Amino acid sequence: MNPLHIAIEHRKLANGFDVVVAPDSTAPVVTVGVYYKIGFRLEPPGRSGFAHLFEHMMFQGSANAPKMQHIKLINSSGGVLNGSTSYDVTNYYQAVPSNALERVLWLEADRMRALKVDDENLRNQRDVVKEEVRVNVMNEPYGGFPWLDMPPVAFRNWANAHNFYGDFADLDAAHLGDVQAFFKTYYLPNNAVLLILGDVQPAEGLALAEKHFGSIPAGSPPAFGDPSEPEQTEERRGHVDEKFGTLPAMAIGYLLPKRRTADWCAMALLDQALHGGRAGRLYRELVLEKQIAVEADGGIDDLFGYNGPTQMTTRVLHKPEYSSEAALAAFDAVIRQVQEKGITPDELEQLKVKWRSDYYATLESGRGNYMPKFGLMHLLACFTLFDHEPQLVNTILDGFLAVTPEQVHSVAKKYLRNEKRAIVFRTPVGSGSPADEGVKEAA
Amino acid sequence: MASRAVEVAVGVPALAPERQATWPKRTRTRLENGLEVILAESHTIPKFHGELLFRSGNAAVADRSIGLAEMTATVLRSGTEKRASRQIEEDLRRIGADLSSHAGSDASAISFSGLSEFAEPLLGLVGELAREASFPEAEFERERRQMLEEVKLQRTQPGFLAGERLRQALFGAHPYAHIAPTEAQVAGYKLDDLHAVYRELYTPQNGLLLLVGDFEPQEMLKTIETVFRAWSGTKPEAKAFPAPANPRGRRVYLVHMPGAVQTQILAGCHAITRKHPDWIKLGVTNCLYGGAFNSRLVMNIREDKGYTYSPRSAVTPLREHGFFSVSAAVRNDVVAASLTEIFYELNKLRSLSVPAAELADAQNYLSGVFSLALATQQGLLTQFSTVAEHELPDDYLETYRAKVRAVTPEELLATARRYLDSANLQMVLAGDRAQIESQAVLFGETEIFDAQGDRL
Repeated sequence: MNPLHIAIEHRKLANGFDVVVAPDSTAPVVTVGVYYKIGFRLEPPGRSGFAHLFEHMMFQGSANAPKMQHIKLINSSGGVLNGSTSYDVTNYYQAVPSNALERVLWLEADRMRALKVDDENLRNQRDVVKEEVRVNVMNEPYGGFPWLDMPPVAFRNWANAHNFYGDFADLDAAHLGDVQAFFKTYYLPNNAVLLILGDVQPAEGLALAEKHFGSIPAGSPPAFGDPSEPEQTEERRGHVDEKFGTLPAMAIGYLLPKRRTADWCAMALLDQALHGGRAGRLYRELVLEKQIAVEADGGIDDLFGYNGPTQMTTRVLHKPEYSSEAALAAFDAVIRQVQEKGITPDELEQLKVKWRSDYYATLESGRGNYMPKFGLMHLLACFTLFDHEPQLVNTILDGFLAVTPEQVHSVAKKYLRNEKRAIVFRTPVGSGSPADEGVKEAA
Repeated sequence: MASRAVEVAVGVPALAPERQATWPKRTRTRLENGLEVILAESHTIPKFHGELLFRSGNAAVADRSIGLAEMTATVLRSGTEKRASRQIEEDLRRIGADLSSHAGSDASAISFSGLSEFAEPLLGLVGELAREASFPEAEFERERRQMLEEVKLQRTQPGFLAGERLRQALFGAHPYAHIAPTEAQVAGYKLDDLHAVYRELYTPQNGLLLLVGDFEPQEMLKTIETVFRAWSGTKPEAKAFPAPANPRGRRVYLVHMPGAVQTQILAGCHAITRKHPDWIKLGVTNCLYGGAFNSRLVMNIREDKGYTYSPRSAVTPLREHGFFSVSAAVRNDVVAASLTEIFYELNKLRSLSVPAAELADAQNYLSGVFSLALATQQGLLTQFSTVAEHELPDDYLETYRAKVRAVTPEELLATARRYLDSANLQMVLAGDRAQIESQAVLFGETEIFDAQGDRL
């Protein structure tokens, strides 16, 4: 049923650093990623946004590659690079012609060994991050909706509930001592994994990894904060003003089952039944048939990449002539239907074919056309850091393809319950209101 | 704050010998009805990606209304003689496929991807959409209503408003001046207009079918013959529009967005099309200016001064006319400072020869990044589609890297002087007038518009 097999070599170096090599000589390019097991969920209290700010600092200079040299050396080798911060991991990745492989490993090892940044770098990147927040959130219609609006409504533990991009006051309070402490605590070979994918021989990849990373000392395993949530027993609701957009919006999030359980597999297919594009029940019902909504999308954001409380979140923008309650009632009717009737074997069969097709696309594809194998890199990293089992990439599909209609029906009743959900309403305030009202910003 | 001297890295490993980048062989043919077909194998995953492209888009029908080709493409997927909208969506899911239909200025396209084992039913559906779309009245009205909401929403987005205003400034009465319809234009669309656009543009003689993926080309050709053979239709009459006037002198267009906490700068000037012999030279010049992370503009206004998160420059090659543009969303109090640096870097490239090492870095970047497309089916498809759509020479992909590497500092200086036209740059600032007007007027005669496009 699954004809695709990814060749993988996995080794743990003496310092605890996981190395995963997935060779494929289709094209003379190689993708290299380093994932650290720390994201914005467990960043220090009082330092909202710090994990992301820190990610920026990792491009500001290391012992032998001063500021801008990492970027310059990747670009001038014919490659592209970036980094991103998410709930439970932070990643750094580059795709280069394969003749630059050793150079990339040297650069990644240099910044894992010794970050070298100063106050001026920190001031500079704090300014850059503020403009990032303005362009993506504060100055954009529906900016941050719902990924920043939902957590404070849905969760009670600060780890899950805070502003992941950071309150500006917290960004301003961050100092160089915080940067070095965070680096020493989490940026350890024994809290990270290296991924080398593409045009590389496994023996060569492993030898180069040993050569450049083998002597970086391990640190004490980080004492991670506790991200667990008190049990939710009633529906939670919150309201946020929309300063630019003209349509009322709402997001409805339901808590997800634990990773890698049978319920989790069934929930993933239920998510597709509800949110799978124009054939999905929510889009079909709210946009195409009842025509209450203009957009109805969302779902599970990163099924394999979370390691703590998370939700399946639907995002709806609806026509102004319908009240929020009317739009929500239409949404509830879709949920009620799947709870009462389940799904047919034929619908599930369609979902499975699409799931398999999407999974192949994930393995191959990148970010845009320019970061090949980004999806495979992400899966291998998460399966290594969270499950210690990168080979899961070749078997995980089986669990989804084995889901039965009864299981989907059962998770619909078990997880799509009002007392396990949170709703955020984002409501247009109309024109002319001051845009920075309610936004925390230091002078 | 003074800039710091750039320090260099110590002990960097040398590059290993470069491996040859080889583009897959293309199988080309033309069906008897005129449909051009290009196929290429890529066996990375058991899927394939494709595009049925028509060489006419919104510009070709701009004399009827703005955005009409886009509306036609949107409604296209919502019904055929044989299948209702819901059936189409479920059939796609049943074979694990994705499909979208859209139109730009110069082309309309049905794009799709799916499992190789279901190539035949997917191509069958694509053929049905291209030949027998039924444009149901109710679906048209629903999509029109959706489009009206989208058009309203666009007018709250700084990026859209800046882009719209720059196109107006650069292209005046030419169809390229419009990137989206107004509410009134959408309200005025008639179902008959869509039928007419569909009849005229979606013909085999105007079409190109591109497939990349895990298949055997000769077998795939047989399937294509079966699906598309009986289709017929002629090439639409080409419409010529007078060349737009090239605006002289610097001007500022301030789009007033009350309460904006940041200003979107977008400045540009006329440039060239992809077919122009200077295209690759301009690409290298743009790369040095603001086309890469490691470019002068990014180093200056992001990494040194922290004015902005994502500054960049680009050359946009529309089929008949290209333009150069530079964009940055900046803090309100550094709009003038950012423009000063934007001009400083433009003028520096126009005044001083580029150091050989810096040029080599840019050449390596462009040539390396080009080969990253080889690794994915979608990457390959995009490159083949670019070559076909812009009617570039057959060996464009194979010779691109050598041409990039051949550019000299002298050519680069001449290219910058010719196309980075700083004396005639048209500057759009989308932001709060109260915060930025006094900075705007420092850079030229300033016109102020509201978000609806009306002069204030």
